[in-house]
Amino acid sequence: MKFSYSWLTEHLKTNAHFEEIEKKLTSIGLEVEDIQDTGKAYQDFIVGQVLEEKKHPNADKLKLCKVDIGKEKVDVVCGAPNVEKGMKVVYAPVGSTIPVNHMKIKAAKIRGVESYGMMCSEYELGISNEHDGIIRLEEKETIGRSFSEIYGLNDIVIEIGITPNRQDCLGVKGIARDLASAGIGELLERKISREKGSFKSPIKIEIKDNKICSAFAGRYFRNVKNNESPEWLKNKLKSIGLRPISALVDITNFVMYDENRPLHVYDADKIDGKIIVRKANDGESFLALDEKDYQLKNGMCVIADEKKVLGLGGIMGGESTGCSTETKNVLLESALFDEVNTAKTGRNLSILSDARYRFERGIDPNSTLKGIDLATQLILEICGGECSEVELAGNIKENKNEVSTSSSYISKRLGFEVSDKELISILSSLGIETSQKGDVIKCSIPSWRQDIHGEADISEEVIRIKGYENIPTSNIRSKSKINHNILNYAQKKLMKTRHFIASIGYDELVTFSFTDSKNCEVFGDINKLKIVNPISEELNILRPNLLPNLLQAIKKNKNRNFDSFSIFEIGSQFRSTSPEDQLNVACGIRSGIKIEKSWKNKQTEFDIYDAKQDLTSLIDHLIPGNKKISISNECPSWYHPGRSGSIKINNSVVVGYFGELHPRVAGQFKIKNRTNIFELYLDELPNTEKKNTNKPVLNLSDFQVVTRDFAFVIDKKVKGDEVITSAFKVDKELIRNVEIFDLFEDDSLGKDKKSIAIKVTLQSNEKTLAENDISEISSKIIESVEKSTSGTVRS
Amino acid sequence: MKDFRELEIEIKKASDKFTNIESINEFRIKFLGKKGIISLEMKELASLSGDERKKHAEKLNKIKDSVLEIIASKTEELNSEELEKKLNSETLDITLSTSKSYGTIHPISQVIEEVITIFGDLDFFVAEGPEVETDYNNFTALNTSEHHPARQMHDTFYVETESDGMPNVLRTHTSPVQIRSMLKQKPPIRLIAPGKTFRCDNDQTHSPMFHQVEGLVIDQESNMSHLKGCLEIFLKTFFETDKLNMRFRPSHFPFTEPSAEVDIGYTKKGNQLIIGEGEDWLEILGCGMVHPNVLENVNINSNEYQGYAFGMGIERLAMLKYGISDLRTFFDSDLRWNKHYGFSPLNIPSIIGDLS
Repeated sequence: MKFSYSWLTEHLKTNAHFEEIEKKLTSIGLEVEDIQDTGKAYQDFIVGQVLEEKKHPNADKLKLCKVDIGKEKVDVVCGAPNVEKGMKVVYAPVGSTIPVNHMKIKAAKIRGVESYGMMCSEYELGISNEHDGIIRLEEKETIGRSFSEIYGLNDIVIEIGITPNRQDCLGVKGIARDLASAGIGELLERKISREKGSFKSPIKIEIKDNKICSAFAGRYFRNVKNNESPEWLKNKLKSIGLRPISALVDITNFVMYDENRPLHVYDADKIDGKIIVRKANDGESFLALDEKDYQLKNGMCVIADEKKVLGLGGIMGGESTGCSTETKNVLLESALFDEVNTAKTGRNLSILSDARYRFERGIDPNSTLKGIDLATQLILEICGGECSEVELAGNIKENKNEVSTSSSYISKRLGFEVSDKELISILSSLGIETSQKGDVIKCSIPSWRQDIHGEADISEEVIRIKGYENIPTSNIRSKSKINHNILNYAQKKLMKTRHFIASIGYDELVTFSFTDSKNCEVFGDINKLKIVNPISEELNILRPNLLPNLLQAIKKNKNRNFDSFSIFEIGSQFRSTSPEDQLNVACGIRSGIKIEKSWKNKQTEFDIYDAKQDLTSLIDHLIPGNKKISISNECPSWYHPGRSGSIKINNSVVVGYFGELHPRVAGQFKIKNRTNIFELYLDELPNTEKKNTNKPVLNLSDFQVVTRDFAFVIDKKVKGDEVITSAFKVDKELIRNVEIFDLFEDDSLGKDKKSIAIKVTLQSNEKTLAENDISEISSKIIESVEKSTSGTVRS
Repeated sequence: MKDFRELEIEIKKASDKFTNIESINEFRIKFLGKKGIISLEMKELASLSGDERKKHAEKLNKIKDSVLEIIASKTEELNSEELEKKLNSETLDITLSTSKSYGTIHPISQVIEEVITIFGDLDFFVAEGPEVETDYNNFTALNTSEHHPARQMHDTFYVETESDGMPNVLRTHTSPVQIRSMLKQKPPIRLIAPGKTFRCDNDQTHSPMFHQVEGLVIDQESNMSHLKGCLEIFLKTFFETDKLNMRFRPSHFPFTEPSAEVDIGYTKKGNQLIIGEGEDWLEILGCGMVHPNVLENVNINSNEYQGYAFGMGIERLAMLKYGISDLRTFFDSDLRWNKHYGFSPLNIPSIIGDLS
């Protein structure tokens, strides 16, 4: 909401300095967003007159002008098509700053000719978008006069943010009233004469549905002249960024911004019969003043006559009854439209208008007739003519809100003592009348405050006027513990996961929860994930998996010359767009160069064993202690079928996958390198809220440790794990560890054969193993492995 | 009486010729070996009479000690020389580069963990809710009816599923977690809810996804002054400053009454923002006393219970504290940015360690 300081002082008698007002506005909840001292911004611009105008010798489109600016005559090179001899112009001297682009005017040679200063268009001065030519001032303007005086810009323009509850401050008067309540001066009542009207309005009004429009006041004016508005009115509107149109329209705009009372004027000669306020029917259409055709739907509030729709109630008038300079007889409308219906209709048709903005926030019912009076006075004064009596359909309801409260309630909510006396005095400054019975204070809310419904609202009024800076600061540390855990087990798991993965070399990314449906079919049912109004087609579904965005990140960073990737994200992925279909997942990618070629190392690349190691170490970190991890080949379709595995814990559900990204998926994302990924479905990890702080008993043996190596030739398809398991099961006490330390494939071993070498660690709890103990167990190991893998030991 | 003078001279002479460990060994054998000069002299002692033997023995033992001492000190000397030589031959170029072995934590995660740490210390727990929300939880239960003008200030993303006949939304704020939590738990309640939020807006200063943290305290006495106290501790701790100019001013949120916006003071030194001091104000969060209608919506008696709520933007906190200038870079996945602004994974915010 914009207003000028001079406009404000028409409603507020105050000695307060402007800066004090500015501070007060913010402190009572009318946040000052911008202040423009237009007097200052325009102080250098003055009236000049073009004395001579001739062609520029070196440029077809430029002209050389001699301009009289009072104290001297200057040469100005000008490119405007409309410049001509004798014209009065706005002259910007050397040293002034052009508002629209903050360019400082300098004396300069333009195509070889000296130019001192500039003649301005409205656009350049930041007044309007008009930039087809320079401003043509009226003949009568005195040369040298300040331009800001002529345009009424010698003022300070303030822009405040109005929160949706403060409908009462959508007019300058309301702002003045709130300032007066807060102790800045005294509210001035505008003197409005009440015309009775000399005849009955020939246009009758009928409200068919008083739910959508509770009251409609109309007044007929005959023989008016709808010319340009007088200077004061035009300047007033211009000062707050409105474009003057014609006297009648300007008057309604003025009343709206002054009194927060939307009005409308109809060209009465274009109305067929009476005015009917009714619900629209499906299929009706209507050409609005913004020159757009709107298709109406059942339930919208329309103002119609007996033949056609004239306007959308509370939102916008229509083209058919718009006023022009030809208009002679008009009907003035001041009505009360329903908030919700107005909001619905406006949103449905996507019409933003000043009237809608006000009606959907609630209008003071008492402004209905006041608005008619103020507009009548101005119309008669500016446009002449005669007015009818006011025709009122419906009821202007006097439903004063009543709220009961007490100083103890207010004190308890605000955190400091407010006495009855102080409470009553603050309320009365706001125009809230009170009556006290015991502790209960009954408040009668004035009609302009549509937002005060309960005690909580009263508490806000009190602290708003008293000042938020008066709220004391209290300690909030509680005597007894309220929560035993800050994070629950699942949340801790997430945090542990994040720090662990980063600690082994991954960079954490945070990407959007949405992604591009393209290339995502493999990850889930994209039809279940659609966003109705996406920000762009590339972000049109909720992500079915964390991978798509991470893969895109890899591609982007490749273009930035990165060739080694260890990235991860922990976040949500979605099975559908129902709130409960969201999963917590950690996803890591290792791709490209693992160890850079250097003075010390040969270059190596990441492979699936890096992803496997990271995932299994992570699981170990999250679930320390005993658990059975089993790995199988079954993986989702975005994994390379021969290079991936899934992990189960304690033979129950699958908790994660690791492996190489399927080359087809990699191709879709235009990634050429082998990409190794892991996914951990955090919600699937066993949830043990209570953890046992005791660790399993540790039995340490001090007897000698012996290791023995064995190599076997086995079929290629036999898994290393089978070799280890069959060796282990020979003697679970003596065999402490079995690990594969060598693996090779060669034709000399036979077709589809490979050699696997294991190192077995032996230790007894009772004695030092003798040579015959060792050879006994060695032959058992060989026997067991050969039997279960159909392999042969290599000697 | 023998005075062993010659023996001493011989020892002295021999001890000057040491060049390596072997020569020390030869020296030891020559004098102390089984057939060494001193050993032989010792044997001869047996043939002497009592008094003389005692004197000779004393003298010989002294000489023996001096030989041992020479051996020890010369050995030490030679060992040091040898080590010195070895060290000199083993010198490596320590300027050759090595690689970093750990990754980075994203600033969003860092700030969320810092926020949790501070509020955890104030006895808050962390609550959560889903990113897809029902219209009821996101708006209606929060006292924002279908046609409330405040809804238009939220550019809401809609999805195709519905709950109770209304399309579900991507939550526009973390406030619906208030509703979910109050339906689950009775007062006293003290919670924060960090998480992702969404608005259909994408320009220089808006991202369609961003993060907020919500706070909620409901009990029988928490009031505006507690809200002020709570936020003061939080902001001072978070910005790691004892000096903090803080300003509450009236605002409006449908789910709080009174509502306030909180500004903190700052000054600019060069390109740096100094938070806490100065006459200029930065808006940092919104808050207020929970509206009685919200409590009634979750079946909490608003005559018995009251409390406050607040919400703030994680990105904004991160930008101000860590000097990150562009909101959109958070989600750009530019690894240069992540490596520059990211945090060490082992520097976990804690009350016993550092916050950042």
